[in-house]
Amino acid sequence: MFILFKLELFKLRKKLRAWLGPILVFLLITISFPLTVELASDDLKNVFYSVLWIASLLTVMVSVEGIFLEDYEDGTLENFSVSNDSLFAMVFMKIFIYWLLIGVPISLLGTFFSISMSGQISSINIALPSMLISTYIFINLFSLGNSLSLNKGSVLGALITMPLLFPILILLGKIVLNAGFGFEISNLLLLMLGVLLLIIVCIPFIISFIIRTHLE
Amino acid sequence: MSHSAMLEVKNVSFSINQNRLFQNLSFNLSEGEAIHIKGTNGSGKSSLLRILLGISSASKGDVIWNAAADKIFLGHKNVLKNYLTVADNLHLHGLNATHSEVKSMLQELNLHNKTDLLVGNLSYGQQKKLALVRIFLNTSKVIILDEPCVGLDDQTRVLITSFLSSELDKNKSIIFTSHIPLEIPSSEVVIGRL
Repeated sequence: MFILFKLELFKLRKKLRAWLGPILVFLLITISFPLTVELASDDLKNVFYSVLWIASLLTVMVSVEGIFLEDYEDGTLENFSVSNDSLFAMVFMKIFIYWLLIGVPISLLGTFFSISMSGQISSINIALPSMLISTYIFINLFSLGNSLSLNKGSVLGALITMPLLFPILILLGKIVLNAGFGFEISNLLLLMLGVLLLIIVCIPFIISFIIRTHLE
Repeated sequence: MSHSAMLEVKNVSFSINQNRLFQNLSFNLSEGEAIHIKGTNGSGKSSLLRILLGISSASKGDVIWNAAADKIFLGHKNVLKNYLTVADNLHLHGLNATHSEVKSMLQELNLHNKTDLLVGNLSYGQQKKLALVRIFLNTSKVIILDEPCVGLDDQTRVLITSFLSSELDKNKSIIFTSHIPLEIPSSEVVIGRL
């Protein structure tokens, strides 16, 4: 498992545009958004979180577009399914490394922007955990979509996955709403964490099964 | 299955869209043995390899592998990353071979001065040679090759044949398809009409 981690990390590190590009897109959205509205407006504070969620959603969608395609086309997946190595472990690691290189940086950037938008350091308690969890969920779900449409283009995969993301977006909205009213948000974060734990195990297993079907 | 047997193929048949490619195919593979799968284009050689590898399923019959038989496969795709250098690609495949073994094989295949080049900048033949380096430096007991000599010059073909022979000497088993005759001791499995 550690070797897999090292190899996948090595591959992605060498492919700068695969992870640095999406982070720059995220940065561009979060920087350009306040410029397009009145900076002094209170509305900005209210809608900033929505912009963060949508920006992270789009960033993840763009970044995982070809998560399995390259390995499918050059025969890596075929070789993996033949060897004694587990395809499940490979998929799990791939998703984890994408989260590590894309999900974590945009979560940190998003947190930084939420602090600068709200002017309160306490917004770290809302932005950081919710973004860390939600980006991991988004990467898992978009990867599922991409595995389904492995040789049919990524748009189809994104379309298939979109309805699965709506409950997460609703939860994220609830977190901001509750925080705004000063209510407890830890229960909602725990609910999201529960969803993530379920997804972490199930999605790589489903994806590895789908990939095997594609190879056949 | 005896201890030295690596693979047992029993009455395997395969059809695509009601077009029967081969039927009731049976053969065995033992340690240190090679099998050359022969057949015309479209006779199902690659499909048979995919069935043996467990990627595709046979319409009928059984493929039984020895539990200790770990396999490595080189098909039509070279399993190389175009955006990585030759050295990085070898590193990526986590070869168990020593540095000197890798160096001497690259030297024999005339790739030693290309280690810093991106694989995408190599010719098809050079990429194929690099893909074969991955195969020959691997410790898997069974080597499965689909047309390993396509795109290679005569000199390299001779070299590949000698590598394959030395793999057999190491008691490894080889299954390969090839239209180009390879001078290694092997039994033949013919599918379709030649």
